[in-house]
Amino acid sequence: MDVRLTDVVKRFKGVQALDGVSVHVAEGEFFTLLGPSGCGKTSTLRVIAGFYDPDEGTVHFGDTLMLGVPPAERGIGIVFQNYALWPHMTVHENVAYGLKIQHVAPVDIGRRVAASLRQVGLEGLEGRAPGQLSGGQQQRVAVARALVLNPRVLLLDEPLSNLDAKVRARLRSEIRRLQQELRITTIYVTHDQEEALVLSDRIAVMDAGRIQQVGPPGELYERPASLFVADFIGTNNFLSGTVVDASAGYAIIRTPSGDIRGTGRGEIRPGTRATTAVRPENVELFDGSESPPAGGSALQNHLRGRVVLFQFMGSVLRYEVEIAGNAVMKIDIHDPKRHRPLAPGTEVVLGFAANAAAVYSADPSRTDRPGAAGA
Amino acid sequence: MSPAVAASQTRAGLRRLRIPAAVWVAPLWVFLLVFIVYPLFRLFIDALQTEEGAFTLSHVISFAGDAFYRKALVHSLAVSVGTVAGTAILGFLAAFVLVRYEFPGRPVFSYLTIIPIITPPLVGIMGLVFVLGRAGTVNVLLQDYLGLAKPVNFIYGWHGVLLAMILHYFPLITLNVVDGLSKVDASLEEAAESVGSRGLRRTLDITLPLVMPGFISGATLVFILSFADFATPLVVGVQDLIASQAYLNIVQFIDRRLFRMGITIGALMAVLAVVFLLVARHLVSGRDYAVLSYRAVERRPAPGVWRMLIPAYFTVLLTLAFLPYFGVTMAAFGRAWSLTPIPTRFTLDHLNTVLHLTPVYVVNSLWFSGLAVLIILTVGVPIGWVLARTTLPGRGLLDALVVLVLALPGTALGIAYIRAFHGPLPVVGLTLTRIWVIMPLVLAVRRMPYTVRATFASLLGLHRSMEESAASVGASGLRTFFDISLPLMWRGVLAGALFSLLFALQEAAATIFLFLPGWETMTVGIFTFYTSGTIGQAAALGFVLILLCAGTLYALYRLTGARMGGLFGSGGG
Repeated sequence: MDVRLTDVVKRFKGVQALDGVSVHVAEGEFFTLLGPSGCGKTSTLRVIAGFYDPDEGTVHFGDTLMLGVPPAERGIGIVFQNYALWPHMTVHENVAYGLKIQHVAPVDIGRRVAASLRQVGLEGLEGRAPGQLSGGQQQRVAVARALVLNPRVLLLDEPLSNLDAKVRARLRSEIRRLQQELRITTIYVTHDQEEALVLSDRIAVMDAGRIQQVGPPGELYERPASLFVADFIGTNNFLSGTVVDASAGYAIIRTPSGDIRGTGRGEIRPGTRATTAVRPENVELFDGSESPPAGGSALQNHLRGRVVLFQFMGSVLRYEVEIAGNAVMKIDIHDPKRHRPLAPGTEVVLGFAANAAAVYSADPSRTDRPGAAGA
Repeated sequence: MSPAVAASQTRAGLRRLRIPAAVWVAPLWVFLLVFIVYPLFRLFIDALQTEEGAFTLSHVISFAGDAFYRKALVHSLAVSVGTVAGTAILGFLAAFVLVRYEFPGRPVFSYLTIIPIITPPLVGIMGLVFVLGRAGTVNVLLQDYLGLAKPVNFIYGWHGVLLAMILHYFPLITLNVVDGLSKVDASLEEAAESVGSRGLRRTLDITLPLVMPGFISGATLVFILSFADFATPLVVGVQDLIASQAYLNIVQFIDRRLFRMGITIGALMAVLAVVFLLVARHLVSGRDYAVLSYRAVERRPAPGVWRMLIPAYFTVLLTLAFLPYFGVTMAAFGRAWSLTPIPTRFTLDHLNTVLHLTPVYVVNSLWFSGLAVLIILTVGVPIGWVLARTTLPGRGLLDALVVLVLALPGTALGIAYIRAFHGPLPVVGLTLTRIWVIMPLVLAVRRMPYTVRATFASLLGLHRSMEESAASVGASGLRTFFDISLPLMWRGVLAGALFSLLFALQEAAATIFLFLPGWETMTVGIFTFYTSGTIGQAAALGFVLILLCAGTLYALYRLTGARMGGLFGSGGG
């Protein structure tokens, strides 16, 4: 079942929570609403679920208009952030409750509950009370409860945010596997960009009640459409300055750290303010005492600096390098074995290609957002 | 060695001189053993001994063999069940709409709903008699304007007892259920809604079971309190209740056999209170659903006609609940009030009498209750601390004693004190029943649990790491307590102490057994004045008591907001 929101507006006591949200989630798609807290992602989910009626706009499941249709009649299954298991019922009773409400025959209830619990790997725990389960197990029960009614759309509201890192990673894979098996249209809400990148077919990044960008994970990571998305997804180095030259997608920005040659995203006009974003893994690091690097010709940008921090992060090494203009750049080294660590204080040269430096016109309304701190 | 190092070593030395917890806990145990365990022990011994001191079951057998007492026991249980049923219906309804719906006047109703518990039921029933009695306001109106020949019996008998108790105790249920309901996470109901469980079905299947623990702990308290109350029934002439019989048998000094029976009934009431408590604990066990609530259920505007029906419900309920205040006030200021709906002439004489001419009742009440609160703070706060912050052996027993006291009928405790302290105490040689100190002592013991629980709750809310981080920057134990713990917990402790004060002022059971001439408190005065026919002064004392309790409640309300439910729990709450 595909889900379509058109120009949805929702206000709470005068505050605009959703400001014209339109998305189309395709049949069988794993679609994630990603954003910081208060961005409207949960409100969007609750509009889809039917807990909120939008003030403006429409919600369609397939060709059916869903306005005014109560949650139970939409064919949805919901998993809540805090599991929302009924504490006075056993695992079995929790999963069976919806079937009982729908007057399913007792024999079938037993069969379907068992199948549903098997699906999430919880056989044998039917008689337990939710309070006797671990967080991960509780969330599995919640998933089983949401799936047992064979919903057409599965809604998950930050289902993993209360779990510790290991359990989170495991449950994440299981949710994806289950979704692939069932081919069920799934809408997932999270503030965790890593979770969103790993799980989703497509992601909608939200901010201030609006959808900022929709696309597959790779596209969001490689080609963020705005500074906000560039900042929210992955790590970026931001340098702000004034555009001194711009033509055919190519731009030069004068920053306190030096002139940066970059690739324009959107319209970049000379004389305006702009910010460039460079991913840490796209920056190359050279010992400053050596002669200019051999492969340097492909790297249009060179910045001198000094190592201030070296971090070992397992598969990655990260440097923080102070450059002119009181800015700090992060640099990731992805093959630590072939790298000779540079001690803090070492003079270095940073190099990156112009097509690795995305240039965004500084939106006057959000100059306080990324970039300013150089992070 | 530098002076700084020397100084720090001295300080470290002083810190090492700490008194072991087991030592300073010892006086607490002595207090509890002498003033709770020993009197109860004596009560049971007396119930199981002949005059000569031999073991006997004859008192128990003659109780069980007496059809009158058996009937009285059944009546008492019936009154308690009836009170719980009535308060459950009124209290649940009030709590549910207060938490879930927005309607005209909600904040005012929410506040007023708590008020009825500030009067002791004794004052409540007296006020009801003024309004609903044979010559009360309502009957006068009925006879004068509707031409009724004979007054309607609204109040004398079972129905009167039930009416007074239900109107008095329903706020206990409301407070507990409001507390439970506000803790129910919205997603639990939304999850139900998403699988098709809506409206009444959802309320019955999901919401009600979740507030059950809070309800049960409130209901247990209502059950035990209504079971133990003897003054209220006596005011409307109901004597065949177990508590009333205990009182009547004890205060007569003619028949030793009856006196013995009074003791036996007192012991039985103590046992039954414990049984009720255990039953309640069993019902609640394993149902502590105190999950962290992420999002409270949003309050919705009351739909359609309910917008008017709900305020109407509160208006009727609160009018009834406030009738006693009207009656007490009229009687307190009325001059020779009879056969008119309200007094025809008003006077300050009664008030003058109880405040200026014989202020002993008010003075004693304030003095004894004030002393009791001091004792409670001295003993109860450390007990709360021991329960929340130490792993000392005997904590379980300590907790059990506190809960026991909460459930123990005042009647039983009063009788126990009479038996335990009528002779000279060993070692000190004092005969406590002849010294006024016994009044604040019995008040302190009876009302201590509120402060203990409040202290315990405040300390649980105060995360230990806050104290530890103070210690880590060099603050001593005492310094940490005064700089960190106290500022964060004094509100809670004070709220508990105010509750203790409120209920010490209201105490009308244990003190009625123990007072000697000159020690009369306001409730004792109300009871003796009223039962001896000096109505004006009984009402004037009632009026003053209402004002005092209202003042205390107002202070409490300011301190805690409306979240008082947790303090009233008897079982798991």
